[in-house]
Amino acid sequence: MRRQFALLVLGLAFGSVPVWADEADDAALRRALAPPLGLPPLAIPADNPMIAEKIALGRKLFFDRRLSINGTISCAMCHVPEQGYAQNELATPVGIEGRTVRRNAPTVVNAAYGKTLFRDGRAASLEQQALEPLTDPKEMGNPSHDHLIARVRAFPDYAGSFEHVFGRAADITALVQATAAWQRTLLSGDSPFDRWRYGKDGAALSTAAARGFRLFAGKAGCVGCHAIGDDHALFTDHDFHNTGIGAERGRESPADLRVEIAPGTFATVKRKALQAVSEPTKPDLGRFEVTRAPADRWAYKTPGLRNVALTAPYMHDGSMATLVEVVQFYNRGGQSNPGLDARLRPLDLAESEIADLVAFLESLTGANIADLVRDGRSVAIGNP
Amino acid sequence: MTTRTITRGDFADLSRRSACRLLAGAATGLASTALFGGRQAFADETCQSPYMPIITGVEEYVYVWTLGVEGMGDGSDKLVTVDTREGSPTFGKPINSVSVGGRHEAHHGGFTSDRRFFWAGGLDDSKIFVFDVVSNPAKPRLSRTIADFVKASGGAAGPHTFYALPGRMMITALSNDKDHGGRTAMVEYTNRGKYLATHWMPTKESAPKLPGIEFADGYGYDVRALPRKNVMLTSSFTGWSNYMMDFGKMLKDEAAMKRFGQTVVLWNLHTRKPRKVFNVPGSPLEIRWAWGARNNYAFTSTALTSKIWLIYEDDKGEWQAKAVADIGDPSKIPLPVDISLSADDRTLWINSFMDGMTRLFDVGDPHRPKAIYEKNIGRQLNMVSQSWDGKRVYFTSSLLANWDKKGEDNEQFLKAYSWDGKELKERFTLDFNKEKLGRSHIMNFGSKALYVS
Repeated sequence: MRRQFALLVLGLAFGSVPVWADEADDAALRRALAPPLGLPPLAIPADNPMIAEKIALGRKLFFDRRLSINGTISCAMCHVPEQGYAQNELATPVGIEGRTVRRNAPTVVNAAYGKTLFRDGRAASLEQQALEPLTDPKEMGNPSHDHLIARVRAFPDYAGSFEHVFGRAADITALVQATAAWQRTLLSGDSPFDRWRYGKDGAALSTAAARGFRLFAGKAGCVGCHAIGDDHALFTDHDFHNTGIGAERGRESPADLRVEIAPGTFATVKRKALQAVSEPTKPDLGRFEVTRAPADRWAYKTPGLRNVALTAPYMHDGSMATLVEVVQFYNRGGQSNPGLDARLRPLDLAESEIADLVAFLESLTGANIADLVRDGRSVAIGNP
Repeated sequence: MTTRTITRGDFADLSRRSACRLLAGAATGLASTALFGGRQAFADETCQSPYMPIITGVEEYVYVWTLGVEGMGDGSDKLVTVDTREGSPTFGKPINSVSVGGRHEAHHGGFTSDRRFFWAGGLDDSKIFVFDVVSNPAKPRLSRTIADFVKASGGAAGPHTFYALPGRMMITALSNDKDHGGRTAMVEYTNRGKYLATHWMPTKESAPKLPGIEFADGYGYDVRALPRKNVMLTSSFTGWSNYMMDFGKMLKDEAAMKRFGQTVVLWNLHTRKPRKVFNVPGSPLEIRWAWGARNNYAFTSTALTSKIWLIYEDDKGEWQAKAVADIGDPSKIPLPVDISLSADDRTLWINSFMDGMTRLFDVGDPHRPKAIYEKNIGRQLNMVSQSWDGKRVYFTSSLLANWDKKGEDNEQFLKAYSWDGKELKERFTLDFNKEKLGRSHIMNFGSKALYVS
């Protein structure tokens, strides 16, 4: 930790030096150095120290649509700053040429704390995670990392950048290290809940949210998976659970569908018509696809809940539009299936208790969200 | 055959005068010859810019901007020329195809005001392909590619309508580079391809005092102008994420279904400033201004709510919008798409995608359209273009690559019909799947006669 601290201080010093690191990068570095209230200290990989120029480079790469095969998809197209660095307008993302991505885009805010990445946990670090979308034929569609790097090296606005930050020309390792470095600065805490629990500010939390917290940690048992510590909270056990959502989707068969065709106006699409315009549903077995362990079928990683009010729609497939729907789902005990997590059971919550739980969840929005949005938007979007 | 050209602007200007004066020869000889002379008939799609020349004589070619299909031929988008010359040995056949390399979600296109170049857009990667149609109208040539539309415009993405203004091309976009949602802009270029300006669709933030701003969504789709009233209308569809997505997936996505345009915006044509926002729920798409000298109105149709809307100037000179008719059974979501207004403003063709129907409405009284004819054209249907005299009507099938039907329902065609006022009679059908061409989308007419001096 002392070494990491030294590197961070070194980074602050660099941040005031040449090239294109600026105040935003220094502020980002400070967030990583001293995470907001309620967050634990951040572990920085020894082989990817944080420096301001690297943060700046990572931000630029994250918002660069040229990193996809046809110049349409950047990381930020699915992790939109104004949408909680998630995607409010879609249940699951749309990739290259409109291809279907199976799972809801999680927020990248506080992703730095993830012990695993992706909803099935198949990556162990932000660096490993960043490798995949670049060449996923459904996402950014590059034929290979080598081809991508050859293109990046030719972008005139990156001239000298990798050399300055890494001491060598762009390569895929440097590229993902830079994006990971910037993502590690997207930390958000100091929410009303944090100020109440960890800041000892009794007035910080509404009475409804305080009641909701007691339910969260007590009767509703949410804390069993969305863990809260004595000094900080990430609201996740980093584990994988079967709530029944995945199993239900696996059994889904097309039926007549009621759709909202204008605000407050609904119509029905007949099953046959729906089938005519639908691609086959892509299977999704969750954590099982990583471990091949039968017990992991339809199990997905417990998401952290910070800023959850900003990241609708919810669940791994974005199938729930509101927090009320989510709490009601758990109040029913999830969706019955043979692998249902044993912790899920009907909760017998009253409507007022559901409202209190939602109030608590809404109290988890960090104080610096607007700063994080400004941070992301401080860089010009990369376009062909 | 003697051929001459006048501009639609000439016609619109002339149409402001009384027919009697025209018939009495008060109009120019050129115009009277072109309009009424001999056996010549006007032939062109009726729904384009009034600033653009029109063709005298029957259209010789139909250009079809076609989406490439992975695994079909070179898999690339292409501009296909189809021979529509009656009696030609290649009548109804593709006689030329210009591949642009790669799939870009080919969609709409339009001629420059001098009708010498055809601009065609890719909704996916926002590339614009400019074809020379004057050197050899039978064989358009890719003249240049504009690859920096998004960067030049400051973030507008998904170029859709290409609308000719004098010396300029007004392009509506559908999306943006920040979130691939529906907030977007109009982007103005010179005919030579120089970027001029970006006009963002109004939002509550950008124009808080604009009449009707409470309805504003910032979305875009089509643009059409009525120069003699100095007004322009834009409509609203949806952003990249939705129009690129599998249609069935989108219908099942509640969050996505909330992201459709609900507005038509009235603009000052000359200043390019918005004047008023109309609430038009259900995604209003194509806009068609009436041609008549005193017909101060336009039609649009809403894709999701299946209604014809009238945008009109009332007795007090104020612009209004109202729904005037249903299209088919809206509860079944027929999904009306392209529309085509006859040159005499009396009839309106409306295609609907899901049921493959075309319907003809009598719109002689624009406030009370009446359905008078319908015909199933195919398993899916999108674009319709009619000749200026209304006697020939063309249809194509593709809506969007990932919205088109799957399997056997995925018919792709150009179908040509004659219309005698009572019945559509087939002239030819060109199967784009069988020809390994791709998904047939927008049609524009061409003729060598246009360029004869």
